[in-house]
Amino acid sequence: MTVEIPKSLAELPVGEPRWVGRRVRRTEDAALLTGRVEFIDDVQLPGMLHCAILRSPFAHARITSIDVSAALALDGVAAVVTGADARAWANPPRSAPEGWGALCIAAEKASFVGEPVAAVAATSRYVAEDALELIEVDYEPLDVVEDPFAAMQPDSELVHEDQGTNVMMQRVFTWGEVDAALAGAAHTFTERFRWNRLGANPTETYGCVCEWDPMSLDIVVRGAMQSPSSFALGRAATFGLASNKVRVVGHAHGGSFGGKGNARGTDIACMLSRKAGGRPVKWIEDRSEYMTAGASQAWDRHYEATLTTDAEGVVTALVVKLVDDIGASGDGFGAISAAKPLTAFTGPYTIPVARYDLTLVATNKVPASPYRGMGPPPHFFVLEQMMDIAARGLAIDPAEMRRRNFIPADRFPYTIPSGNEYDSGSYERVLDEALDLAGYEQLRKDQAAARAEGRLVGIGVASAIEPGVFDWNAYAIVGMPQTGVPEGATVGVDITGSITVRVGFSHEGQGQPTLVSQLVAEYFAVEMDAVRVVHLDTASAPPSFGPGGSRLGVAITGAVLGACERVRDKMATVVAAIMHCDAGDVELRDGRFRVAGRPEVDMTVAQVAGTMLARSDLLPEGMDPLPEATYVWTAPGRTPADEEGRAKSYLTAAQAVHVVVVEIDAETGVVEIVRYCLVDDCGTRLNPVVVEGQTDGSVAQGIGAALYEEYVYGDEAQPLTASFMDYLMPTINEVPAIEKREVVTPSPVSPLGAKGCGEGAMHTTPAAVMCAVNDALAPLGVMAREVPAAPNRVWNLLRSAGTQR
Amino acid sequence: MKPAPLDYAAPETLAEAVALLADASREAKVIAGGQSLMPMLNMRLARPELLVDLRRVDGLDHIREEHGAIRIGAMTSKREVEQSPLVRERLPLLHAATLHVGHPQIRSRGTVGGSMAQADPAAEYPCVAVALGATMRVVGPGGERTIPAADFFVTYLTTALEEDEILVEVSFPVPAPGTGWSFTEISRRHGDFALAGAAITVALDGAGTVADSAIVLFGVGPGPVRAHAAEARIRGGRPGDELYREAGAAVAAALTDPPADVHADSEYRRHLAATMTTRGLAEAVQRT
Ligand SMILES: Cc1cc2nc3c(=O)[nH]c(=O)nc-3n(C[C@H](O)[C@H](O)[C@H](O)COP(=O)(O)OP(=O)(O)OC[C@H]3O[C@@H](n4cnc5c(N)ncnc54)[C@H](O)[C@@H]3O)c2cc1C
Repeated sequence: MTVEIPKSLAELPVGEPRWVGRRVRRTEDAALLTGRVEFIDDVQLPGMLHCAILRSPFAHARITSIDVSAALALDGVAAVVTGADARAWANPPRSAPEGWGALCIAAEKASFVGEPVAAVAATSRYVAEDALELIEVDYEPLDVVEDPFAAMQPDSELVHEDQGTNVMMQRVFTWGEVDAALAGAAHTFTERFRWNRLGANPTETYGCVCEWDPMSLDIVVRGAMQSPSSFALGRAATFGLASNKVRVVGHAHGGSFGGKGNARGTDIACMLSRKAGGRPVKWIEDRSEYMTAGASQAWDRHYEATLTTDAEGVVTALVVKLVDDIGASGDGFGAISAAKPLTAFTGPYTIPVARYDLTLVATNKVPASPYRGMGPPPHFFVLEQMMDIAARGLAIDPAEMRRRNFIPADRFPYTIPSGNEYDSGSYERVLDEALDLAGYEQLRKDQAAARAEGRLVGIGVASAIEPGVFDWNAYAIVGMPQTGVPEGATVGVDITGSITVRVGFSHEGQGQPTLVSQLVAEYFAVEMDAVRVVHLDTASAPPSFGPGGSRLGVAITGAVLGACERVRDKMATVVAAIMHCDAGDVELRDGRFRVAGRPEVDMTVAQVAGTMLARSDLLPEGMDPLPEATYVWTAPGRTPADEEGRAKSYLTAAQAVHVVVVEIDAETGVVEIVRYCLVDDCGTRLNPVVVEGQTDGSVAQGIGAALYEEYVYGDEAQPLTASFMDYLMPTINEVPAIEKREVVTPSPVSPLGAKGCGEGAMHTTPAAVMCAVNDALAPLGVMAREVPAAPNRVWNLLRSAGTQR
Repeated sequence: MKPAPLDYAAPETLAEAVALLADASREAKVIAGGQSLMPMLNMRLARPELLVDLRRVDGLDHIREEHGAIRIGAMTSKREVEQSPLVRERLPLLHAATLHVGHPQIRSRGTVGGSMAQADPAAEYPCVAVALGATMRVVGPGGERTIPAADFFVTYLTTALEEDEILVEVSFPVPAPGTGWSFTEISRRHGDFALAGAAITVALDGAGTVADSAIVLFGVGPGPVRAHAAEARIRGGRPGDELYREAGAAVAAALTDPPADVHADSEYRRHLAATMTTRGLAEAVQRT
């Protein structure tokens, strides 16, 4: 039976919604704020061992011998594993393009500083770390591949010798008559940009407790991973087991932002457990391990972009050439991240044709991993700088430049050259609201006055798209040909009428448990705290992916509402049977079942559930007495990618305009954010409080990207930023209060009209801050082409402009 | 991230603590607030066999005025310094510098003695100690001695303390009335160690020209760097933008090879030292 998921709040079976769309407090916060949530490091199991990992001090070195005998002899040590064990038991993870993956422990050679070369399980982490000091490894250092351009030279040392090249992938995607557009352009602008490595830094690093039974070969992993189900499938593939041999228990965890997908430590802990007779082995990644060798680093990119316009400043073509330094292997999903810009390549603009020249290169750095937004944030940094460069070249105000190129509200659904379809939008209205919020005209006057005093004040106006509801088909170009990502929920009413929802995602912090309660409480017209949300492990949960790619809010809404509809349909059948009427005449409204034209029929959800479970005498024979249903939602209407990578991929397209004012200290180069204004449109706001929380955090991360965060490598690819002393996350002191407004253009295709909004401002903030920085620098004739715009870099620019006193 | 095996002692008297340090049979190290030492232990960069915790030792936690000086016990936390009305009134330069040391959590645990003994070249306290002409009172197996701040900071993370000596008190002379002061620093984020900074005191004579000054920089050398050339350049000079810029130029010219790291190259640090001097001097003169 087909299920119709409500596409708007008006379609819910209630009069006035009480929960959905309201500013609802998060139900999970009380437990979080009072320390009553169990995180992975709180887990203690009988006989549990602790793992510590020995890591390569060299970025590239052959391992000529390894002696673990002294470590094994140390009191308290239960097992030691090396690359030989990995070769015997494990495959490279399937997250890497074929041939570009690496075993969880280096077998023949180490390919980045921090790559595991051995690991110990002992009675405590202290003993385990003592034992690491007793392992003797002989290395034969090899030439280090540090720079992606040098890596592409034919005489370069190779990271993956069997591949015969360091180029993991090279492809040019052409969408439309690009050459003709370039040849016929009135104006052509070309510029290079550099986006340095940075990445996710959740409050809690990764951790797990693993058991691998040496007899049955069953694996149980408890862990702080972002997606338990794909983690379970991944482990099964890595260890060559049937997928039902692996059970993953996803723990509540302190954020991810893409940083909780690294499987190495889990695979190592599993192997140690098997060697130790199946005893549980805990591995807690410490911050330095995370920062140098975990899923911490993303987007090491060298860009060259060309943008052409007609005489009026309407953009006619966009060409982006990207050389992406993926690091030592492809298993951190780095390739996917380079492919994601296809979902919104031309941003919010009507740019008719485009080209993407994409090269992924292997070097001796830690493999690149996902980070909030996945691939588009650096892409939009480039696109928005190009829009400003064109605007400056044509003497058009940057806000006006956007207006001239926005996709008009009446042209949705709108297919962009790279194939995705945007569902809806009101881009010009969002711009107008943002300019009004910021007092744009006055800002420009104030800026003129400041400039007259010699001050470097800049205003950035930037806009970007947030592709929502991740779909694998977007990644067909890097070898992921699936279409559709499932998310399931089971809604059950018990004999007393209490409602429980069982889900497969784990509690990561974005507020989805609250959302589930909102939806079910609304649907059945009960109080929110009457709904219980249970997170199941992968052996019992419905198919699920969890958070990622701005999807879970929309996907779980579809899943929960689908399950609610099914429960309602089942209950309507029961009501029809006992009231001797047609099921089609039974209606659920405000929590009660009624029958058209028969006012005496009025049953509550609890009454129907109780009847189903406890009054078989009233039920017709053969009727299913379970007041429960499961629904698995996948995004409708998605298409497989064609040969140029074009697909209807991400379901929703949210949009935002940010207006940022900065002042640069002309003597020191320090950039200060003076004001931060934004207006966003992510369709129906299921819980505005949650949207705003996601926005605030995402702006902070975007400011980090624009001004502070950078993983730096020194000679021989040695990491120089291995702690928070040197890797600078913005704090409350660096992130200004954010002035916000919203525009709501519901999606016509998603559950309740909501759009993905979890990655949010990260798409726009780095671009907007850099637009402001470059607006401040414009009178000096210099431009910041590299992020982060750290003070030393800005000072170098000031000095080159000769303004330095 | 777990320390190598070690023993731990928490003596209650200074004599006991000194005896534990002086026992040559095992390598011992003092722990105060642990804000610098704990990370080094966890990363196994420091591997003492014995930790001697000073927390229970009597008489190391005080702030009082005696004979024209503010005497601060080595175990006094930076939070106590920050909140002390005496410091705020009598040593406003130290108060201002304290607000730049890390964050409230760090200042609650970290001690005055720990910051001095750690001798980080980018730290605020050693610089202020030199600028104010503080003296360090030190106790070892041979008894007590005092060391002027200018001689205490030897080089990167190295002081004049012997391995078996404990810093017990820092004594800051109260500047003469009318002395102007400033504390300026530039760091990547609020609370970070400085890229460069300056602690400055200045006194004008009756004619309004510079009678005396102390200009001490941090973050730009192996320890606090006294800018003698700049001090000489402004002595007798008439305060004003030009004089301040000349002081900055003198600083830039005199600095040999400021350190470079991921946040600032050597040239940038030199420039920042000059800028902090110019700005700081203007601020200090305003306060005379
Ligand atoms: C996040 C963070 C930010 C920070 N930011 C700054 C900053 O901006 N500026 C700054 O200056 N510092 C900063 N610090 C360092 C902090 O100020 C430390 O507190 C200080 O450097 C050491 O003081 P402590 O009491 O913690 O000493 P400990 O860490 O306990 O000891 C440090 C060293 O001093 C020795 N020692 C301690 N006390 C004595 C004594 N009485 N006699 C002899 N030897 C002794 C110890 O043996 C050890 O070698 C920061 C620290 C952190 C964690």
